[in-house]
Amino acid sequence: MKEQTLGILDSYTLENSHYDEIYSGLKQPRDHYVSMVERFNQLSLTDFERINNEVKTAFLNQGITFAVYAEDKKPDERIFPFDLFPRIIPNTEWMQLEKGVIQRNRAINLFLDDIYHDKKILKDKVVPSELIFSSKNYLKEMIGFKPEAGIYTHISGTDLIKHTDGQYYILEDNLRCPSGVSYVLSNRVALKKSLFELFDKLKTKAIYQYPEHLLEMLKSVKPKNTDNPTIVVVTPGMYNSAYFEHSFLAQKMGVQLVEGRDLFVDKDFVYMKTIYGPIKVDVIYRRVDDEFIDPLCFRKDSMLGVPGLMNAYRAGNVTLANAPGTGVADDKAVYHYVPDIIKYYLDEQPILNNVKTYHCENESEGKFVLENIDKLVVKPVDESGGYGITIGNKLTKAEIEEVKVRIKSNPRKYIAQPIMSLSVHATFIEESKEFEPRHIDLRTFSLMGKDDQYVLKGGLTRVALKKGNLIVNSSQGGGSKDTWVLD
Amino acid sequence: MLSRVANNLYWMGRYIERAEHFARYSKEIYFSSLDAPIMKTYDRNFVLESMLYMTGIFDMEVENEKDVLYKIGLDPDNPNSIISILTIARENARGARNAISTDLWEAINKYYHLVNNYSVETYISTGFYDLTQIILEQTSIVQSKISGTLLHDEEWAIILMGMHIERVIQVIRIINSKLHDIYKIETAGHPVTEMSFEWTTMLRCTESFDMNRKFYRSIPNREQVLEFIMLNPQCPRSIAHSVNGIQKYLLKINSDDNSDTKSLTFKIGKLCAQYKYLTFEEFNNDIYALLNSTQDMVSEISSELEKKYLSF
Repeated sequence: MKEQTLGILDSYTLENSHYDEIYSGLKQPRDHYVSMVERFNQLSLTDFERINNEVKTAFLNQGITFAVYAEDKKPDERIFPFDLFPRIIPNTEWMQLEKGVIQRNRAINLFLDDIYHDKKILKDKVVPSELIFSSKNYLKEMIGFKPEAGIYTHISGTDLIKHTDGQYYILEDNLRCPSGVSYVLSNRVALKKSLFELFDKLKTKAIYQYPEHLLEMLKSVKPKNTDNPTIVVVTPGMYNSAYFEHSFLAQKMGVQLVEGRDLFVDKDFVYMKTIYGPIKVDVIYRRVDDEFIDPLCFRKDSMLGVPGLMNAYRAGNVTLANAPGTGVADDKAVYHYVPDIIKYYLDEQPILNNVKTYHCENESEGKFVLENIDKLVVKPVDESGGYGITIGNKLTKAEIEEVKVRIKSNPRKYIAQPIMSLSVHATFIEESKEFEPRHIDLRTFSLMGKDDQYVLKGGLTRVALKKGNLIVNSSQGGGSKDTWVLD
Repeated sequence: MLSRVANNLYWMGRYIERAEHFARYSKEIYFSSLDAPIMKTYDRNFVLESMLYMTGIFDMEVENEKDVLYKIGLDPDNPNSIISILTIARENARGARNAISTDLWEAINKYYHLVNNYSVETYISTGFYDLTQIILEQTSIVQSKISGTLLHDEEWAIILMGMHIERVIQVIRIINSKLHDIYKIETAGHPVTEMSFEWTTMLRCTESFDMNRKFYRSIPNREQVLEFIMLNPQCPRSIAHSVNGIQKYLLKINSDDNSDTKSLTFKIGKLCAQYKYLTFEEFNNDIYALLNSTQDMVSEISSELEKKYLSF
């Protein structure tokens, strides 16, 4: 008989200051986690560590890695840390999230169409026009141009957190080239292979269909003059940190992965350079940022783009997903107005909560921010990847003064929010060989095609692996978990 | 197929093939020398110089055996070391990631990591045999993924063409390198009767020893070895077999007019015909001239291929 020992979760300690996803009290898992906790507790630490190491090797061999460059040394290739304990979302909770995300994206898409055409929402002063016109992501090249089927945000990523009150809050919208979906699919595959017994007890919704939906969506927005569209994914190249994802998606869809240098424009049509000559390209899922896509139009020094692409686009001969100029709507300063945007276009109450946001350029709000930096998170409006963010209660007096100087020098650049408390989830920590609470968030992935909207069930649960850290971005030491939406 | 991807696949094939030849050559030369009957071959410096010669290093002062092993195996600063070659092979596979199967990509990637993470200390002290064996085994896995998990279309043909072009070049290098050794031994005054050892080594370096034995059923000598690894189309490592391979895969992607004497199909066709009807007696007197002209023709085919298909 097996010796009775402590389960690997039995030493888990609760932090009362945060919402714990698994436990409602000491050793009391929430209903939807009971059988998962039981299963994990049957594993010995030795077995768990062995499985954990096997999974790491599998990720390395699959090339799900990123390179860390150091001077004078070979680049160090690392895997994205993956935690084997899945995050579980009950179906009713998910349905609400999905509805909320779809509502939000519909409204944002209408908003983009409006600000590049009639600008009604600005004329009605629901959103201040200077906020839009001062944004470097508002592209004059898009004014008056209607993308195929009126769709701008074909693919969007919505970041959500769960606060101490157990409610979800939107943290930000990602409307340019949101990444991470390949990790969602790879995490699931890894978990299925390594801990297949988990799938007996609970039934999770499948996620493998995402590339199929992505392909259908891209086909649905083909230019009118083509029947059987040639679709490509454009990557900045294999040294880009998301190259794994670009090649993954192209391969799963069975379409060609190309770089800017593989394409050229002739008489406003786009072609790719093949061994037998040029082949016309109709739909481009581009993973290159706006400013780099066309050196004739945007940054002249871009080596990643295709000269003349914007003309071909404006002539209606090629579809770009996402449309250029969507970045104006995921600006952190516009975020504050999204609930108003939803009410304005859809005449509906927002389903998902926004975090209260203070604009430093607004005189009274700016004053409040400067007086309360220690209690607020201050973010630059136009950075991604978690860069430039300061968290008030972690700052020294001197640092607070520095933040004040930065805000005063360019108030438009900064917004502030109350310090939201991200929920925590038991996560295996290799150093202590124990499960410990770590902060998590959730990025959902949504597609918007001609007649169809699709949200991947679940999404990417990101984990801040450093104790107490709130920043979950993979570029700053974050890991991820498989995310289960119960069937 | 994108020209850039074709370029990636072609070089991926070439570098995977190259790593295998370097590993096998070093392994065979090194281990066969340990109890060699001829003093000259037994001499450490002679062996190490031969290994360096094969990888294109002609000017290294051999002082320490471990330095040589490191240099040809795991030295990232030597562009011809096995790890450098594998790094390029894998980068090319990564650049063509969505043109190849997941199985093939993972086989190449795993192969790279196995070699890249191999401890340098272990390698130069006790791991030389182990590492070269890993390389040979991983190459077999990669080859089986190429034949078994890819659609047999133009992309597949480009990879195999790269491998066959590289094979011709490497087999010629091996023959040259071993002939160079044999010449040094002969001029040192050793009797020809002891030479079967050297010819056996040449066969082993091209993985043709067992096949040769089966074919001739006698002790290897100059004629049987050179005839076998140059002219025998049934031996998959022979030059004749490899030029036939180039022709076969070239015809998969190229349909130009073979009556045009400047066309790729004409050139490779002529080379195949030359090897088909050549006899040992005809080239025995000037073997270097044949090896050189073959190498030149294959290089010419390779650069025309690059110009025509691999750059746009």
